[in-house]
Amino acid sequence: MAGEVKVVDLVKRFGEVTAVDGINLHMPSGEFFSMLGPSGCGKTTTLRMIAGFEQPTEGQILLDGDDMAFTPPHKRNVNTVFQSYALFPHLSVYDNVAFGLKRQKRPKSEIRERVGEALDLVQLQGLEKRKPAQMSGGQQQRVALARALVLKPAVLLLDEPLGALDAKLRKQLQIELKALQQQVGITFVYVTHDQEEALTMSDRIAVMSEGRVEQVGPPQEVYEEPTTTFVADFLGVSNLMTAQAHGGSNGRCRVTVGEFELFAAQGETATTGDTKIVIRPERVHLEPHEAAGENRVPGMVERVVYLGNANQVIVGLANGDKVQALVQNTGEELTYKQGDPVRVYMPADALRVLTDTGTAPIDEDAVPGIPPPTATEPMAGEGSPNVSV
Amino acid sequence: MYPRWLWPAFALPGVVWLLILFVLPFYAVVGVAFGSVDPILLTAVPAWNPAQWNFGWVTQVLTELQPGGIYWDVFVRTLEYVLLSLAGCVLIGYPVAYYISRHASRTKSLLLILLVLPFWISYLMRMLAWINLLSPGGYAERFLSATHINDLLFHLGVVSDPNNYLGGESFTVIIALIYGYIPYFILPLYASLDRIDRSHLEAARDLGASPWRAFLHVTLPLSRTGLLGGAVLIVLPMFGDYYTPNIVSGAPTTSMIGNQIDLYFHGGPQPTIGAAITILLSLFLVLLMGYYMWTIHRASRDLPA
Amino acid sequence: MSQAVATGRTTTQEFSTWRRLRGWVGNPWGKPRFLVVITWTYIVWSIAPVLVAIQFSFNDSRSLTVWHGFTTKWYTSTSPAINSVFHDPGLRGALQQSMKLAFLDVVIATPIGVLLALGLARWRGRGSGGANFLMLFPLVTPEIVMGVSLLLLFSHLLTVVPFGTPAQVLGHVTFSISYVVVIVRGRLFSIGRSYEEAAADLGAAPAVALYRVLFPLLLPAIVASAAIVFAISIDDFVISQWLSNGANTTTVPMTIYNATRATPQPSTDGIATVIMVITLAAVIGGVLVFRFFTRGEGGRGSAIDDVAGFGI
Repeated sequence: MAGEVKVVDLVKRFGEVTAVDGINLHMPSGEFFSMLGPSGCGKTTTLRMIAGFEQPTEGQILLDGDDMAFTPPHKRNVNTVFQSYALFPHLSVYDNVAFGLKRQKRPKSEIRERVGEALDLVQLQGLEKRKPAQMSGGQQQRVALARALVLKPAVLLLDEPLGALDAKLRKQLQIELKALQQQVGITFVYVTHDQEEALTMSDRIAVMSEGRVEQVGPPQEVYEEPTTTFVADFLGVSNLMTAQAHGGSNGRCRVTVGEFELFAAQGETATTGDTKIVIRPERVHLEPHEAAGENRVPGMVERVVYLGNANQVIVGLANGDKVQALVQNTGEELTYKQGDPVRVYMPADALRVLTDTGTAPIDEDAVPGIPPPTATEPMAGEGSPNVSV
Repeated sequence: MYPRWLWPAFALPGVVWLLILFVLPFYAVVGVAFGSVDPILLTAVPAWNPAQWNFGWVTQVLTELQPGGIYWDVFVRTLEYVLLSLAGCVLIGYPVAYYISRHASRTKSLLLILLVLPFWISYLMRMLAWINLLSPGGYAERFLSATHINDLLFHLGVVSDPNNYLGGESFTVIIALIYGYIPYFILPLYASLDRIDRSHLEAARDLGASPWRAFLHVTLPLSRTGLLGGAVLIVLPMFGDYYTPNIVSGAPTTSMIGNQIDLYFHGGPQPTIGAAITILLSLFLVLLMGYYMWTIHRASRDLPA
Repeated sequence: MSQAVATGRTTTQEFSTWRRLRGWVGNPWGKPRFLVVITWTYIVWSIAPVLVAIQFSFNDSRSLTVWHGFTTKWYTSTSPAINSVFHDPGLRGALQQSMKLAFLDVVIATPIGVLLALGLARWRGRGSGGANFLMLFPLVTPEIVMGVSLLLLFSHLLTVVPFGTPAQVLGHVTFSISYVVVIVRGRLFSIGRSYEEAAADLGAAPAVALYRVLFPLLLPAIVASAAIVFAISIDDFVISQWLSNGANTTTVPMTIYNATRATPQPSTDGIATVIMVITLAAVIGGVLVFRFFTRGEGGRGSAIDDVAGFGI
């Protein structure tokens, strides 16, 4: 099946600035692949190189095995949904969607049929004669999708396509977009800075920072098992603490944070020396001050922030670190108030030891010669803690 | 996406056109100004080779440009006219631009059309209109006489003849210059005033500034680029104007640098001296322009766009 | 009771008047009464003289100062005693020459300027900075300097170009190109490159992207600049005068100039009026075409803002 993209040692420099710094990615056919990162991390530049608007300084872009790093965009079987949609303002919806088919010199009847199908697909029947400016943002977004999909590309590139929409519409379109991708079955390469978007829709996510890939994996993996401080910090809220690791046994690592001793069962448990440990706020438990046991640290509630579906409790530990705990709103009144002494329980199986802060992990799948995984797990967002439908 | 040669190729015809018909002509002026004069025919004999340039004419013009020289009075008069006209444009133009940008709400569109209208009426027609009005018996002349403003102007020493405005009055020339050039001054000023974010003013008021102080410390500095831009836009062509004084006065007592150049080409032809004055005028204006660019550069460093 | 109400009202009125007055004195800029007066005085001052000139083009007498009743003879009379705009050979010739120059100027300067704008906006290489700089100079060079330099060019260097229409056209195009560049380049920047990228993405070759996408998007600016070139060419006096070869290449502004230096007549006002109507028609036509092409683009102001934008 067509639509497999490989990016090999890709580098892009703009003068002195290195926007993309030697990345390797593999997007198997039919995958919903997201590139996630803050602005300036190189994700859009990478996408523009796959589309053909920029030419790489070094490296290869393989589409189904052919290097097309220097193929002009109009000769690539790849289409783009632009951040600003870039719908031609002087053309009607019909002519916008038909634009690519006309370039291919398709017969009129075929064009009419395929434009109709594409508009059906995005539920815009009957709006053919409108001009883009006469449509809402959400409708424009659908036209942009139809215009790209009508050409039946091997790969669809999407550059923050939901960025200009309001929060509610964005949520709705996230679901539709995922359903659409499963329906048409082509590879989607999706660029976003919104972690929730990436977690909800993607089969796999590449988290990028400063032109490098930090981690690649299914949403659950990058969220639950971040391998770098950046990923832990960028995806969701994390409690990051500097710690000393003293090696491990039985898959548990003994670490000390200041005067406290903790056991961590996740991550690089065999490490010794300076390290960081991380735990998600929703995995932190608050217990009465008198509670005792392993991995329990005394602290004092500094602030309670009401978030609606949960309460965010910020606890100051005796060594000066602060830990955030997320307490679900069950309807009962919260037992802790500002100034209360508490005991913070951080279960060993939720504590992760990170060794690095700088080195970018390599997406091994992308290294030429190693065959890609035969199937991708259908884990469309389920199990990712941030889904809120 | 596009072939590399495409954009330079697009620019080529225009660049070649400007090189031949804008840059090369300056070389022609230089050649004539630094050339010599045929002793019998009195025509210009240009010198194209810089080695054969004769700086005599330019030096002569420069000498006469000093106090006491024959061009000194004309030069001083030109400066006076330009500066007074500029002052007039600021005094009239600023309140108008300020009002339209800040306070006119329902009438704003109409006012803008009326503001732009003079752009589309020939400059010569607008001057001709004043001839109609200021000729003896014309509407404006009769109005000034009936209200005795003409006597007032005479007693103040603004005009030398209270009944003949078109007979060589500096006053008339300056008014005509203001009338002719003010639309070009107001529009850029309006644009810069209109761009000022109202929240700046609200912030100033919120922090306790009186409306006057808010104007002085916020609006005025923020409209500086518009003021300077408008000033340059009218000052440069005014320095080259010769038709305005010719139309509303025609007397040698009101002639400007432009008239002097015009005279050397169309009066008793001495193109060599005319070319020499043109070169000096151009240099002067380039300096002025350079100063403007420098201030703009500094302003853009201080203020975000 | 009623007395109390009346008194109360008077007090409020007095109070508000006093307060308003104090407001004006304390804040003449905030309460813009005197700004209103200045603004409207200025507007009347800037336009009324022209209206008077139009009025006297219909005067049933040779006088430009005393009204003798309405006539159209200064436009249409065929009598040899009256030099009417449409029948006097001199005035007719001037009209024709002005129109001819403006037409040729539009036809030559617009395409050159559009290409130059595209080139200057996109070309990032050796020489592009200089070309950008060069393009700005004709906008700020006083016309007399251009007049002198073109006169000397055609009399000493490019002597193949005869004075009269050929030299005048070359001169007009030279000062017009930069206006086209400024207008088209502005539109080019506001369009951005994403539409062309989208076209290429959808399979359009570069030439197709230029022709099918960029050109239609630039068309409003091209029409606008053509209208402006027409107007500034019609309005030009200095270049036409310096590059003319005598009577048969006299333009309308030159005719007006010559008349003001001798004795202007109602037909002088008349020909000025005709040229004003033609210019306004061209500009309004340009605005209408502009709006036609940009309709449905959204995010734009009223027609009036477009007209106003034309001046800048």
